[in-house]
Amino acid sequence: MSSKMQSSSSIAQARRTVRQLRIEASIERIKISKASSDLMRYCGEHAKNDPLLMGVPASENPFKDKKPCTVL
Amino acid sequence: MGEMEQLRKEAESLKDQITAARKAVQDTTLQEAAAGITVVGRVQLKTRKTLRGHLAKIYAMHWAVDANLCVSASQDGKLIVWDTITTNKVNAIPLKSSWVMTCAYAPSGNLVACGGLDNMCSIYNLKGKDGNVKVMRELAAHTGYLSCCRFLSDSEIITSSGDCTCVLWDIETGTQKTVFAGHQGDCMSLAVSPDFKFFISGACDFTAKLWDIREGVCRQTFGGHESDINAIGFFPNGNAVITGSDDATCKLYDLRADQELITYQDSSIMCGVTSLAPSLSGRLILAGYDDFNVNIWDSLKSERVGVLAGHDNRVSCIGVSADGMACCTGSWDSFLKIWN
Repeated sequence: MSSKMQSSSSIAQARRTVRQLRIEASIERIKISKASSDLMRYCGEHAKNDPLLMGVPASENPFKDKKPCTVL
Repeated sequence: MGEMEQLRKEAESLKDQITAARKAVQDTTLQEAAAGITVVGRVQLKTRKTLRGHLAKIYAMHWAVDANLCVSASQDGKLIVWDTITTNKVNAIPLKSSWVMTCAYAPSGNLVACGGLDNMCSIYNLKGKDGNVKVMRELAAHTGYLSCCRFLSDSEIITSSGDCTCVLWDIETGTQKTVFAGHQGDCMSLAVSPDFKFFISGACDFTAKLWDIREGVCRQTFGGHESDINAIGFFPNGNAVITGSDDATCKLYDLRADQELITYQDSSIMCGVTSLAPSLSGRLILAGYDDFNVNIWDSLKSERVGVLAGHDNRVSCIGVSADGMACCTGSWDSFLKIWN
């Protein structure tokens, strides 16, 4: 590759980098206090419906092997 | 000043702008904001089922949206669709290439996909007329291994590759609709947002990127990891991203604050994270590690609240079922385990 070709592909790459950084720099950002409270609220609102968090009662657990029982 | 020098200066200036803008919204930390919350109590899950049948390392698994079925991929050259309640094999699909690294279940339940060192994503129709599972499409264009794939629907799938790109495919025509280029290292993992408008990718350039599927552009890039990102997932509300890395940590990045909120690490953990999945509420993060264990983290308090020990080799993949009732782990020991 001639050095002229090399530098034009580096320039193309540099242009792409700047174009991408412009996109990323332009976004609106919310405060961490709001981001945190929204995450905390979501966890709180959905906690009681989270089986791995709350535990699954044996009677409602489709994965629990039903042990045979004898009627005395 | 030459154009190259100008561009270099503009890039530096934009990076400084981004750093400053991120700093400007740091009015607190998640640690401080969550100070008043109690850590979740110890989470003790038991192995409820062991899925036996693969003859070699399991590299990937994915739950169906119908919660009781899942698909797994092993380098024994098979994709197996399991009924996780009965442990029956619903389908055992022989693959052309045994070097499989990923698999996916379509939301409809009609299709599964896989790929690996063959650089292709193969789509299989589970509901073919004569009952035989056949290759429906072979999506070939990547110049590197297929590390991950996820269906948007029966007609579109997104793949990530060792060629540093991700691709959105039209399954019907077998063609690339969009190429997502930008990572400077192998793309290792991807996850689709709950609203199907975005996906995130983790790569060996130590960054995670958020991509707008329809516009075809990268909207945000998240750094901070000190090694390859192997695993990535969305927090259930779609507003945050969780990553797992060879640097032995997991991180949570908030999309709207455009930065890392918290790191999940412990000085006693020195091996890489291979896989991760959040629980239904997002309060728990289950992460698989190279040391054969799964660590369960309280996502808000960044404390380890449980361990799943049961595999005799690396945990390579993990998934929480759609209704949150169970977690499935897959390992190099050739077994899958269902826990709750």
